[in-house]
Amino acid sequence: MIACPSCGHENIEGTDECEQCQQPIGDAYLPPPTSSVEEGLLTERVAVLNPKVPITVEVSDTVQQVLDILVNKGIGCVVVVDQGRPVGIFSEHDALMRLNTDTPASKDRPVVDFMTPNPRMLDNEAKVAFATQRMDLDGYRHIPITDRDGALQGIVSVRDILRYLTDKLASEQQAS
Amino acid sequence: MSFELHLKTEEVIRAHPADAVCVDPHDSVRSVLHRMKEERTGSVLITSEEKLVGIFTERDALKLLARGADLETPIRDAMVANPVTVLVSDTVSKAISIMSHGGYRRLPVVDEAGHAISILKVSGILRYLVEHFPDVVYTLPPEPHHHTKTREGA
Repeated sequence: MIACPSCGHENIEGTDECEQCQQPIGDAYLPPPTSSVEEGLLTERVAVLNPKVPITVEVSDTVQQVLDILVNKGIGCVVVVDQGRPVGIFSEHDALMRLNTDTPASKDRPVVDFMTPNPRMLDNEAKVAFATQRMDLDGYRHIPITDRDGALQGIVSVRDILRYLTDKLASEQQAS
Repeated sequence: MSFELHLKTEEVIRAHPADAVCVDPHDSVRSVLHRMKEERTGSVLITSEEKLVGIFTERDALKLLARGADLETPIRDAMVANPVTVLVSDTVSKAISIMSHGGYRRLPVVDEAGHAISILKVSGILRYLVEHFPDVVYTLPPEPHHHTKTREGA
């Protein structure tokens, strides 16, 4: 059996495309991994990045409350939840771009007005390569990780990915 | 040539440093915040006669905004003075090491005379690393579990 690189579905060897997701499988689609870094990216799941427990705030929490949380907890972003479901992200970058010098006038308004809504999320079965692609191509600094039902499980940052890549490269060099 | 060789010999210019937005030490925090928004940048370098004297990032801005600080203060009183830097001639490997040990997300790049040249960000390093195995990262479908409902379109 061969695992589909896209969805992980087990297919019969020699199949050209995945029975489940119809993505092509095999050498024509992806070259065989030439290093442990490439292999790790394609086979390891985001759980290997040790997603941190995200700090969450409610949509109704005020700007001032959220800014204080970011400062006091020494974090770069919070996940905004509504009835337990993640609906947005508010980061220090949002504070600069959306509040800026208007912060004093907006400090009692709800964070929902300033967050980045509908953040791109990944489920915990996604491969590290996907998280890396999102971070690089889309310029995201944080990606919330959910389970298959969409419940928030963790958050990975660009620094987690960088650490993963540099650790892999270092161990590869030691081995060679 | 092996990857190891690249990482330890290639200079930071290969890791996509961004153009530095530079401000004067006497500029007010308010004007710097506006400038950062205009330029859509998370950091500015503070220069005096083109020499780097400090850095001010969105993290510093966050702390000021959270406590309702006086925005008319000159930026030189709010910046981080004498920041950790890398030289244009330093290698990517050295930059990664400084970033990961110090927990920095951005490093000003300076020349031998201390002139601010550009700014190296963690996202640039990530892109540099990803470029070494682009097939793995760039040939992915748009969603990790892209399920097609039916085999045929019609």
